[in-house]
Amino acid sequence: MQLTPDDTILLTFFGIGLNATIVNTWIIMALLTGVSALITRNLRPDVPPNRWRTALEVMVGGIVGQISEVTQRRDPRILYFVGTLFLFIVTANLLTVVPGFDTPTASLSTTAALAISVLVAVPVFGIGSRGLGGYLKTYVQPSVVMLPFNVISEVSRGISLAIRLYGNIMSGAVIAAILLSIAPFFFPVLMDMLGLLTGVIQAYIFAILATVYIATATAAPDAHQDKKDMS
Amino acid sequence: MSIDWITVGAQIVNFLVLVWLLKRFLYRPILDGIDAREAEITARMGEAAQIEAAAQQQKAEYEERIEALQASRAETLEAARQEAEKERNAMLTEARRQMDHEQAERAAQRAEDARAFRAELQKSAAEALLSLTRKALTDLADETLERRIVARAAARLPEVTDRLRGDAKQAVALTRDPLPEEVRAHLRDALDAVAPGAALSFETDPVRSPGLSLTLGSVQVDWTIGDYLEDLEAMLDESTNGVSAGDPRDAG
Repeated sequence: MQLTPDDTILLTFFGIGLNATIVNTWIIMALLTGVSALITRNLRPDVPPNRWRTALEVMVGGIVGQISEVTQRRDPRILYFVGTLFLFIVTANLLTVVPGFDTPTASLSTTAALAISVLVAVPVFGIGSRGLGGYLKTYVQPSVVMLPFNVISEVSRGISLAIRLYGNIMSGAVIAAILLSIAPFFFPVLMDMLGLLTGVIQAYIFAILATVYIATATAAPDAHQDKKDMS
Repeated sequence: MSIDWITVGAQIVNFLVLVWLLKRFLYRPILDGIDAREAEITARMGEAAQIEAAAQQQKAEYEERIEALQASRAETLEAARQEAEKERNAMLTEARRQMDHEQAERAAQRAEDARAFRAELQKSAAEALLSLTRKALTDLADETLERRIVARAAARLPEVTDRLRGDAKQAVALTRDPLPEEVRAHLRDALDAVAPGAALSFETDPVRSPGLSLTLGSVQVDWTIGDYLEDLEAMLDESTNGVSAGDPRDAG
């Protein structure tokens, strides 16, 4: 029994194997991009919105609203990053119900890649907001003694992001496979339904935690201190 | 559970590409569309606010004009009523004046008609009375009217003799028609009896009433049929008035 789609090699180019994680990621990327391009291709002010466009507007508006609630400001760069995280993860998690589709989020490589992206994005947004000195100063607050603890905190929360998402999705897929072998008619359906709910929740948790980390890094010094005091 | 770092790198690249793709095909178009629609809604709401403000201003102006019209309505109605009353009085006065004028004209016309009718009637009655009298005298007494008139005048001459003074030298007999010669001789004889030597001349006046008017100095002896006609007219008027007063249709 394979626990990760990384082990499933679908194609080989010039001696480099393309596993199911990468290929399925491309499928999800094509699906998201294609649907978005298809719906927004005739998006002009003089064309009345249809139901698909309205659905996209509701979805994007919901993401913007959640980000605005956390960051208390409207930054489109955070929307691009966090919104893409959420849409990719939720789409991948929902596709677990498709038979034979190995979702990429069940791969620790994928979740690690996403966690690394968040780990890199947080200082990038922080430096972009506060400048390099202002961001690095946050690691020695409230005193220099806290520097190693702050660094460990940054790394550990990235690891926790990766492990949490991978564990939830991989465990759901493994449990579904086990139940499919034991009681193939009833329990897998229930587990898939539960997996859909869990997948959406995990996507929300991953995205909202990334938003919180970015908001903490980009907040004003006073607000940053207040958030640390509250935590 | 293992991490394939090549896959990790590929997934990071894939994720960054997906960020760019969704930014290009999803977020930008949707956000731009929302912003454009919000801007359009804001512009339309601004236009609507301007239109509403203009409408409110027009409404206020119309209400003010309506209030002014209502305020001046009573004054206008009172002025129009007074003007109409004045015009009505003027028209009534003019109508009464015109009616009085027409009544006066009709009354004058009726009076003129009555006078003409009366003159014509008097003339016809005189002719008839003269004719009847002449015929009656001829039939009953073998006399002519002219002889009887002259005889009447001659009979009255002695009554006026004492009023004659020294100027009774010229006498004038005035009749409507020329008198026969024998009648003239009779009158001359009668005059000689009361005024010897007085010259008598005969004159005619076609418009006067039949009869004789004898002027002797300052004394005048008349007998004309007009006196009888006046009496006859008075009798006719009295009879007519009596009939008119006794007619129940007139009374009613």
